[in-house]
Amino acid sequence: MASSGAAVPFWRAAGMTYISYSNICTSLVRSCLKEPHRSNAANREKVHFAISKWSNGKPESPTIRSDSATE
Amino acid sequence: MAMAALRREGRLLLISPVSYNSPVARSMINHDNELGLMGARAASTQAVRSRMKSVKNIQKITKAMKMVASSKLRGVQNKTINSRGLWQPFTALLGDAPSVDVKKNVIVVITSDKGLCGGINSTSAKVSKFLYKLTSGPEKDTKFVVLGDKGKVLLVREFKNSIELTVSGLQKIPLNYTQISVLADDILKNVEYDALRIVYNKFQSVMSFLPSVSTILSPETAEKESEAGGILGELDSYEIEGGETKAEILQNLAEFQFSCLLYNSAMENACSELGARMSSMDNSSKNAGEMLDRLTLSYNRTRQASITTELSEIISGAAALTG
Repeated sequence: MASSGAAVPFWRAAGMTYISYSNICTSLVRSCLKEPHRSNAANREKVHFAISKWSNGKPESPTIRSDSATE
Repeated sequence: MAMAALRREGRLLLISPVSYNSPVARSMINHDNELGLMGARAASTQAVRSRMKSVKNIQKITKAMKMVASSKLRGVQNKTINSRGLWQPFTALLGDAPSVDVKKNVIVVITSDKGLCGGINSTSAKVSKFLYKLTSGPEKDTKFVVLGDKGKVLLVREFKNSIELTVSGLQKIPLNYTQISVLADDILKNVEYDALRIVYNKFQSVMSFLPSVSTILSPETAEKESEAGGILGELDSYEIEGGETKAEILQNLAEFQFSCLLYNSAMENACSELGARMSSMDNSSKNAGEMLDRLTLSYNRTRQASITTELSEIISGAAALTG
């Protein structure tokens, strides 16, 4: 398994960052829970914000990221 | 909703301009509003009375806002304390290098969406402007990522062309790590950086907030710094499991470090915002109370003066008739 730096893990080769990889793993673990703990954990997973990219000093229209599960 | 009520009361205050501090003005008001017996008494006190009512309403609103902020603060403070375990290992492992000198800097400014929270947003904006001047120079490139509407308004005038991303609507749901990590992911995908600096207000107590900067180095910069020695140089002495190369580890670490530090900074800023709102609403309630006292005094004086005037007129009229 030891490599000289050429091989990358499958998720990075697919374009994901470590953060998105760990978020997916987290949601997998959260979905293993049983009922009362499951809805408590689902509360900790809510995402909602509006992000807008600026170019040349002008904002473009914001895209709203609102999913209740991780990406 | 509280904001709309406050605006309404403010308008009521503006419409009834009463200068209640000078005795000359007061007697002028009495003479000017001579609309007959009932009119003379009612008109001038009416103005003061409506002003008192709106000040009292404002006081109620600010007291309520203070209660809301203090109850929210308790919850967020607990979360912040629990989240310390996320970033402390990073500081122990990788150190914090605020004075690192790199070509591409990205300044992430955390501010609030709503106002009425004292001076925390303006101090964050001041610190980030200062950082910008510090890190700019020939061949150096500094960009801003602004979280929160208030920061956007404060920075847009001077730094329109350096803003890369703005984010708003973060506080609609209570802060959690997943939301911040998705945001961190978006930021990482959209900007290139050698060093990320997060500007936020650290929460020390309800009255005092410390503007602070945390620095995260990109993996390449971290590699360079580790060759220079210091805490980062010790990285080689750790055993790495998993058979990946050091560059791979550094990249994973850098991303995770950004996400954890952003989470911690966002929580601390939220605590500071709530604390600042609590203390500023407290001050406004106190000021509103004092204003109410002064208005009550002047109201009583006006009322008594007009009663005295009426009495003296009646008496002098009666004396003229009999004598």
